[in-house]
Amino acid sequence: MLDAILLEQHGVPAVAIVTDVFRATGETMAMSWGLAGYPFLDTPHPIANLRDKDLDARADRLVEPVVALLTR
Amino acid sequence: MLAGGGLRGDEVFGEIPGRNTVVVADKVAINAVLAGCRPDYFPVVVAAVKALCHPDFAYHGPASSTGGSAIVLVVNGPIRHRVGLNAGNNLFGQGTRANATIGRAVRLTMMNVMQTRPGFFDRATLGNPGKYSFCFAENEEESPWPPLHVERGCRPEESAVTVYASNSLYQVYNQLAATPEPLLRCFADALSNLGLPNVKGFNQALLVFAGEHSEVLAKSGWSRREVAAFLIEHARRPLADFKRATRLPGEPTASDETTVRALFERPEDVLIVSAGGRAGSWSACLPGWGNKWTKAVTAVIEEGSA
Repeated sequence: MLDAILLEQHGVPAVAIVTDVFRATGETMAMSWGLAGYPFLDTPHPIANLRDKDLDARADRLVEPVVALLTR
Repeated sequence: MLAGGGLRGDEVFGEIPGRNTVVVADKVAINAVLAGCRPDYFPVVVAAVKALCHPDFAYHGPASSTGGSAIVLVVNGPIRHRVGLNAGNNLFGQGTRANATIGRAVRLTMMNVMQTRPGFFDRATLGNPGKYSFCFAENEEESPWPPLHVERGCRPEESAVTVYASNSLYQVYNQLAATPEPLLRCFADALSNLGLPNVKGFNQALLVFAGEHSEVLAKSGWSRREVAAFLIEHARRPLADFKRATRLPGEPTASDETTVRALFERPEDVLIVSAGGRAGSWSACLPGWGNKWTKAVTAVIEEGSA
């Protein structure tokens, strides 16, 4: 989340993705940088123990919203 | 409270860069009052807060992690006696105002000044009771070794606090050991269980040896470094153990059965303190927060005009 905020401050388009249980933490990070409402994406928690094909499926579902945020 | 530290309210103690947060003296003083500190405790709180802001501590990780670390404060030097910090019986327990309130002031400062609130920037899954307060003094007078702060570069006449992130405390028991080796095997075992968070990198551990165990080590003449070297040598397991428990990915191979992985790398990463009661065959093992990116930081306690 912080990386995305700092990259965008330097003019590099970026998208943060968190697992859904970390939305509140992402929102807190955005607020601490004066960016309440900063858009970011989430995916269901957890991901660390997913098989490769399940992780790929998660990534596939995120492609479209990632492109939408990068080109907003 | 500010006068207790010889400080102005607008003095900056440090910052938490990733959170865009600056830590200022008056806000820390408010939290020390809330915690019930006496003004003469405040220099300890200030030094601890400055240590949390040191880049080596890398605050955001241990403070935010699901691992739910307590911030352990180990106080050394003459201030221990002046403020009445406990270094003896019931070391980690209740009953001493200085221990209870200095640690509490640091946690309240984390919550109210450093934005470390549960569910938001504090993502502890379980946390631990040490997150309320975790502060104790080393029993330098009966220790087998020089004080921890001297080991870490301070002068003996200085007072200092060492801050260290640990997500658990377990007591280690051994009543029969009369020499270091069998005693320390119990610690090496405690430091290398399969549920440890730090199997992928070398981090730190804090060991607190209480009276009976300190006496065994004192009689042996083993230095801190020798104790640490023994623990590093024995806190290791075959790679296959980690793979069978899916702590490392992949199926165990034949060579994994005989290839060992050490949990610690450098003697200075095994922090060793002597404190606690004289009676009882107990000591404590406090594994570091599960990541090599945070390091314990020792800060000199400036007593100002107090």
